This record gives sequence, C-alpha cells and structure tokens, in this order.
Amino acid sequence: MSPEANSILRPVRVQYFALLREQAGRSDEAVDTRARTPRELYEELRSRHPFTLGPDLLRVAVNSEFAAWEQPLRAGDTVIFLPPVAGG
Amino acid sequence: MERFYLSDVPLEPTALARSLANPACGGYAAFEGWVRDHNEGRLVARLEYEAYAELAVREGERIVEEAIRRFGVAQALCVHRTGNLAIGDLAVWVGVSAAHRDEAFRACRAIIDEVKHRLPIWKKEHYRDGDSGWVNCERCAAPAAHEHERRPHRNHDHHHDHDHGAREQPHAPRPDYSRQTILAGVGELGQRRLRSASVLVVGAGGLGVPVLSYLAGAGVGTLGIVDGDRLEASNLHRQTMYSIADCGASKARLAAARVQALNPEVRTEVIVEQLTAANADAIVARYELIVDCTDNFSTKFLLNDVAQRHGRILILASVYQYEGQLQVVRGDRRGACLRCMWPEATRDGLVGNCVQAGVLGPVPGVFGSLQALEALKILLDLPGQLRDELLIIDLTSFATSRVRAQRNGACAAGACVRAAENQGVPVAADAPLEVDFDSLAAALEAGYTIVDLREPAEIAAQPAPVPVRELPLSELLRNPGALDAARPQLLMCARGARSLAATQELRSRGYANVMSLRGGLLAQRAKT
Repeated sequence: MSPEANSILRPVRVQYFALLREQAGRSDEAVDTRARTPRELYEELRSRHPFTLGPDLLRVAVNSEFAAWEQPLRAGDTVIFLPPVAGG
Repeated sequence: MERFYLSDVPLEPTALARSLANPACGGYAAFEGWVRDHNEGRLVARLEYEAYAELAVREGERIVEEAIRRFGVAQALCVHRTGNLAIGDLAVWVGVSAAHRDEAFRACRAIIDEVKHRLPIWKKEHYRDGDSGWVNCERCAAPAAHEHERRPHRNHDHHHDHDHGAREQPHAPRPDYSRQTILAGVGELGQRRLRSASVLVVGAGGLGVPVLSYLAGAGVGTLGIVDGDRLEASNLHRQTMYSIADCGASKARLAAARVQALNPEVRTEVIVEQLTAANADAIVARYELIVDCTDNFSTKFLLNDVAQRHGRILILASVYQYEGQLQVVRGDRRGACLRCMWPEATRDGLVGNCVQAGVLGPVPGVFGSLQALEALKILLDLPGQLRDELLIIDLTSFATSRVRAQRNGACAAGACVRAAENQGVPVAADAPLEVDFDSLAAALEAGYTIVDLREPAEIAAQPAPVPVRELPLSELLRNPGALDAARPQLLMCARGARSLAATQELRSRGYANVMSLRGGLLAQRAKT
C-alpha cells in the first residue's frame, strides 16, 4: 500500500455487539479512519473506548462476512466487532 | 347455508330455533349468553361488542362446521351480537339440532367454547362507577381443562403429573395439529415426519423452555432433555413454564412433566446430568437433531464437536442482556461449525453469561423460539434454513445482522472432529485451577509471581497492594511465552473470572505452573 493510501481518511461504519456495545456505550458509529485493516481500526477504537477484550478473543466481520483481521479496509465498509456470547 | 353471523340488532331466539327444525332430528340444544351486571368484582352497567367482522365470520363458520363434522349433528347455527347491549340482553346464541340429545349438547358446548376462544370479538364493559375497559372475550371462557395446572404441585415425579392431567378428564381432549397441518409445508405427511423425529435439547433453561414447549406442541415424537441443574427462583423471569413452588427440583424432570402435560403423545427421555466429555457421545448419538440451549462455551464446543463427529445438525443460540445469536451447524462437515467462527481461545469467564451480565426474560424466549422454528424447518425440510451464517439480533433496536461464515482451514482438515475424538478420552481428575490466599503477600511468600491480568485503566483505578507483573489478558493469550513456564505464576484479575479462564487456557497449552487467584482482588479486599 502506498504512503498516500495510508494517509487517506476512510469513512467506515462500525457496529458493536454484546460486551463491546456496552463498553463502547453505543451500538454503532461512523468513523473516519486511517486504519488499513480491522486490526488497526480496533486498536484505534480501543484508545477511545474501554474495550477489555483483545482481538484474539473477538471475531470481525466486514460487509456481513467473517473477515481476517488483516483484510484491507475500504471506504464505506461496515465493520462488525463480535465478542463471544454464551448465555442461555 | 349460513352457519355463523354477526348481528347489530337484538336476537330472536324463537325464530333462530325454528330455522334449525329438521324432521330427522330428535334433539335440539341451545345456549344463550346474556349480559350480566358484574365482572371480576365490578358492577357492570352496559356492554359494547366490537368485532373484526370479516375474520370473525370466517372463523365462526369454520367453528360451526368443525362441530357439525366432529359430532355428526344435522344442523348448527351461531349468532353473535355487536354494538351496545344492556344488562340481560342476549349477546351470543348457539343452536344445534341432531338425531339424539347427546351430540346436540356436546356440539353446542364445543361451539360456544371455541367462539369464546377464537373469535376476534372484544367486549368493552361500562361500569356503574363511570369507568370502562376492554375485556378480551378469551378471558370469559373459563379454561376448565387447565385448572389443574394452576395448583402448585410439589410432587416432582413426572409420571404422576402426566397421569394426573389425564385422570381428571374422562374425555381428555386429544392433541390437534390442524393449525399446522393446514400449512402447505406441513400437511399430514409433515406431521408424521414430526412424530417420528427425535430431538435432543441440552439445557432446560431460558432457551430450552421455548424450544421444548414448541417442539412438544408441534408433536415431535421424542424429546431428550438434558439438564443437571435444579430450579432456582432467579430462573423464573425467563423460564416461564416452571412454577415457583417447583424451586429445588430437577429442571430436566420438571420440563419433562410440563411437556407431558402439554402433549401426552410426546415421549420424553430425561437425563439429569450435565453434558460432559464422558457422556456426550452416547447421548448425542441417539438423536437426529441437537438443540444447544446451554449457557457456557465448554458445553457448546463439546456439543459442536460431538455433533460433527456423529453427523448431526446442531442448532446453537446464545443470549447476552438484550441481544442474541443463532447458528445452525450442519452435520455434513462441509459448512462452518462453531470452531470455524470462534477463536480457539474462547473460554467461559471472558464475557458474562446470564448470571453475571443479566438478561431480560423475553430475550432467551425469542431466541429459543427461533431455535424451535429452525428445528421444525429442518425436520420438515422447509426452505430458508440458516446455513453458514450467524444471525445476530439486538432486541433493543431490532437491528438484525447476518454474518456469513465459511468452514475454516483447520476444521476442513478435521480439527473439530478430532477434538471430538479426543473428548471421548475421559479426562483425568483435573488438578485444581484456583487457589486462595489470606493475603497477596502470602502468595508472594509461597513463591508465586503474581500476574495482574487487568487492563491499564482498571489497574489505575485500583492498584494492586503488592508488586505484581502487569500483563493484560489479551496480551497474555496472544503471547503466553511471556510467562516463565518453569516458575509458579498466580494469575489475578478483578473477580477471578478472567484469571480462571486464562488458567484453563494456559493449562490446555501445557503450562502446568499457572494458578488462578480465587475471587480475584475483590475477594482479597473483602479480607482486609
């Protein structure tokens, strides 16, 4: 990825569920980010929200598909961070 | 010939009766419902009836026709008033003519009971004190058949409950699946399919209650119920088929009794145990479809692996506060399974369950209902089944997400099935995972390095009282090599849940020297 691409602010939509929604205090937000991957985006959001779970305990979905943490982010992507849920 | 109609003018019983005259009939029975001057302790001045006319007439016709067929009577007619009625006015009239009196009485009774239950007709009572209120007509009909359920029964033997329901009614009604067999996707063939089906429901709690209720109602032939827990009062806000008087009794037994009361045609198999690696194989193999209604990851992963091994479809659901997830894992080893979706490090204790995080009662109700729905869709081979997807619904906003998933590399190579095979080996008596100390200083004296798994913000808010190594849980799990495996390590967090989860995880990766501080810092603070 070129240095220019790195500096571009991309608008993405982020959705949170369960514990993350609670810790973020919201169920979704629009973010303009320089993050290139979901992992970078999550680290960026961690500086704003008191997330206790690291990415290795979460799953990420991009545009309604489970995705790899290193998948390149594109402008307009919808990113969902999913913590595991077990209640019954 | 018209069999049911609505009238906004006063009824003429004599004329109505005459319309049923028939030379082949030796018996005639009629029922008149009158407006009375009191209801539930309040004095009633007058009434108003309002009907959803199209639907009421269609359903009314159906009720009368059903009764004619069922009891073999010659003719029957029912008329219901609408509009304003005074005390003593005739509100509903039913007449039946038949060859003999017995079927005339029974058909008449059946028609008025069904009319009260099924017709979309609402009653507004105007009270003497000037107040008024709508009363659903369904409430007017005393559900005599259900009377016995209101009594708290302390006897938990389900055979007793079952017999008891049947004994009180000499003409016990038989299960009637007509409302589902009328569906093109069900029919008599589908009903026979359900009757021959066997479904295992693991967990008779918030999810299990609706699953068991709907599958029993639908006439699924055999239901296996696994639950080793006893009913607690704190279960009842979400586990609404139990009674408060039943607290302390086995949930699996209570659930079986309730299923029997709901539908005596269903065979129940009760397993009053938790599902474990030692018993899962034998239990799962006996059923064709498995529904996971548990509240913890270790059982969910166990079920996932064993179901994959036996080629069984598994319907999973989990809830958290106001939201939940639904997933169907296919038994064909081709689609995504639980292990394909969640990281290996997923362990109980990392996020809250219903006990720790709380849950609103209808949330598991919704997700359990969805599980029952998927179970019926699968058994009946209906379209639209969930496949390779995680369905997430936030019930506060009704936001729904469907996340597609694929079988990942490890599972494609058989990781889940291998895990199941390894599960089959009984686990040796586990070494303790937790330890308690009078003080953290005592732990240091005992030779432990204390590892604080809390996040920096938590530590800043409440620093540890002794020297500790700070290593947030996520970092530790990412890089367990950061620990000196040769020396005793005491993992600590706020309440002992994260440290226990991490200890389980690290032990499974071969770190024998890690231990979790029971109750975490909170328990230590309570001691000082």
